[in-house]
Amino acid sequence: MLSRVADDLYWFGRYIQRAENTARAIAVHSNLVLDLPRNVAVGWSALVEILGVDDLFRARYGTGYAEADVVRFLVLDADNPGSVASSLASAREILRTVRESMPHETWEHINNVHLILQEGGERLLARSRRQDLLQHVLDAALMTYGILIASMSHDVGFQFMRLGTNLEQADMTTRIIDVRTSSLIKPRAADEALRPFQNIQWMSVLNSLTAYHMYRRHERARVRGTAVLRYLLQDREFPRSVMFCLNMIGATLPKLPPSRAAERALERTGAVVRDANIERLVESGLHDWLDEVQVGIGKLHEAIAASYFKA
Amino acid sequence: MAIDWHQYRCNGYHDELFEKPGQPRAAARRLVDYLGNLGAAELAERRLAAELAIKIMGVTFTVYSEGRNVDRSWPFDVIPRAITSREWARTEAGLKQRVQALNHFIQDIYGEQKIVRDKIFPASLLRESVNFRPQCVGMKPRHGVWAHICGSDLVRDLDGTLYVLEDNLRVPSGVSYMVENRLVTKRVFPELFETGSILPVDDYPAQLYDMLAAMSPRPGNQPSIALLTPGIYNSAYFEHSWLARQMGIELVEGPDLFVGDDDIVYMRTVYGPKRVDVIYRRIDDLFLDPEAFRPDSVLGVKGLMRAWLKNKVALVNAPGAGVADDKVVYAFVPAMIKYYLGEDAILPNVPSWLCMRKRDREHVLANLDKLVVKPANESGGYGMLIGPRASKKEREKFADLIRANPRNYMAQPTLSLSTAPTLTEDGIEPRHLDLRPFILSRGDSVYVTTGGLTRVAMTKGSLVVNSSQGGGAKDTWIVDLDGETEPPVQVQTQTQKGGRQTQGSAARPARRRRTG
Repeated sequence: MLSRVADDLYWFGRYIQRAENTARAIAVHSNLVLDLPRNVAVGWSALVEILGVDDLFRARYGTGYAEADVVRFLVLDADNPGSVASSLASAREILRTVRESMPHETWEHINNVHLILQEGGERLLARSRRQDLLQHVLDAALMTYGILIASMSHDVGFQFMRLGTNLEQADMTTRIIDVRTSSLIKPRAADEALRPFQNIQWMSVLNSLTAYHMYRRHERARVRGTAVLRYLLQDREFPRSVMFCLNMIGATLPKLPPSRAAERALERTGAVVRDANIERLVESGLHDWLDEVQVGIGKLHEAIAASYFKA
Repeated sequence: MAIDWHQYRCNGYHDELFEKPGQPRAAARRLVDYLGNLGAAELAERRLAAELAIKIMGVTFTVYSEGRNVDRSWPFDVIPRAITSREWARTEAGLKQRVQALNHFIQDIYGEQKIVRDKIFPASLLRESVNFRPQCVGMKPRHGVWAHICGSDLVRDLDGTLYVLEDNLRVPSGVSYMVENRLVTKRVFPELFETGSILPVDDYPAQLYDMLAAMSPRPGNQPSIALLTPGIYNSAYFEHSWLARQMGIELVEGPDLFVGDDDIVYMRTVYGPKRVDVIYRRIDDLFLDPEAFRPDSVLGVKGLMRAWLKNKVALVNAPGAGVADDKVVYAFVPAMIKYYLGEDAILPNVPSWLCMRKRDREHVLANLDKLVVKPANESGGYGMLIGPRASKKEREKFADLIRANPRNYMAQPTLSLSTAPTLTEDGIEPRHLDLRPFILSRGDSVYVTTGGLTRVAMTKGSLVVNSSQGGGAKDTWIVDLDGETEPPVQVQTQTQKGGRQTQGSAARPARRRRTG
């Protein structure tokens, strides 16, 4: 396996996962805004923060964070490397390069949604049509993932794609939790009447990660902040929890040429997530702790890149 | 409704399928009958099926248009072109002879230059050749082969003679389309292939692989072979990717390779560096190695020439092979065949006037309105003057160009390229075409594709067949007429055995897919 092709497949996994998570975050947020009372100001800035592109956003649109601007920026803007359209365009470009190692159907799905975004774009962003558009993105991403699992040889190239997918998901999950929890309404300080809405917000955190139903089955209890966090960070069975993704990476690495650096980076971050006391973190220090996990994921990425892509 | 072939007019050109209106040539008889019975409506439907198949199979070529590269579906005409196996056997012998002489010539030019000393080939031509590479002087590639892969363009004139128009010895392309054209035709007209008198074409990737493997500097080992592509923005990227996939070899770009201190070429893999023995390069000489040629090339590999000159890696085609791929050098090929092989050329050249010769030049300048003028080193049909179609102003411009740099121009009579029935917007009409067979040289043997790629000018009256300029393609049949006498009984039992499969998957698979 050529290092360049491995690199491409790894990033293909990341781009698809990024596009899907971004689309889902926007869809869920659009819903949440409709449910919250008018006197609770829920801005759109949180979405931009999740993707860590606020500087770029402010440079292009200022600090107003108007809904239309944010949505356009995150879905269509070609100048935003994290936008859904950019992620899909990058994934498509990779497919063109490595078409000999991927099932052909993959191309059809990615190309199709790419064309929808390029051609239909702007007019599909209005609230009334937005859900449809985002659903296209979600479908294409899941379809692609399904095709790869079902019809691509699970060879070394596939393992790199899977590494990318899981690493990106772990990263996205921490980002979504970080931003959502810092913008939560703090009912103790405010009005008791707002308590039900806190519940909605925790549900939206779960929904952003398609975790709501699985969480209910798991907890069989009403939605509580600490339990939600524990589920999304440490559950060993939910495929978008940080722990699950790291374990998947742990199961994938032995199928690749050995890299001590990648294994060490994984062990370190894995321990941080596994050993965390979520109850205490909720009281204080959650944000700093999430930062630590994100830095760990970044280091894991660097170790993988240095071991395999820069031979 | 059946097609009335008497309505098809050849307009005075040599037609590949018809001797005269209503009377098909021997190789095309079955085809013409079959299409006639099929009828126009059914034919139109099969054409749609073919277009869909091409789209689904993802057969594309890349064109640069409106400031960006776009992938276009391969333009394909469903009506095949047919040639008898008898005529082909002679053509094949002619092509082998030609390529052998060309390889002798290139080896000679980079060695003793006997052909120049014996005054068969003018020294001045060599001095001014833009494709002569001084870096290659003294080199002897394995088995003496420089032009491992040659794509020669053949055209047929009014009297039916097949001429060699040019030999592409640098990075000839199109072979993947030859194979894909056949796949599409088999999907669309499966009935026609049931008797087995149409010779298969899909052996090419296996032949190519064997030839590449035979060039390895480490004979005996399982050779490590890679196809070096300029990348996805190249117009032939589809073919690069297709060939790599068919042969199961690595598709690499320049940055994937490096040359070590030991002058060995390595690929960067996830397992660490891996040695490469043979590189089928699809980038031009000048971009191969920034150390030896253009220092600004980002497509190539630093030190590649060093590795090649020390025989640590085989480059296919060899750098410098293009010295014989020059429209002026072309005129000397019959003389080369005589000089190196002591034979007369089996396939004739198109009569050519070389502007470097005073008398020829005067003739060309006086007859610009009747001739086709070509620069020595352009490909893809660019930079030519088609005299009879050009304006007075264009002709004057060319006259100036010729006077300024006579070595760079040659002229040929405007050939009346043969035609074949082609399905157009206005029904079945004659369109001009050529044929590009591919020839593989291994030193001990030479392989010629069965037929080749037929390129057709889809625009009415046009003589330009290049896909970059509105050309399309046809499947090319070499028809074994001696095999036709076989009773069809045997064949029927065969179809019955595999009956379910044939009906289920081959009948019309292109339409099983649903869109939307």
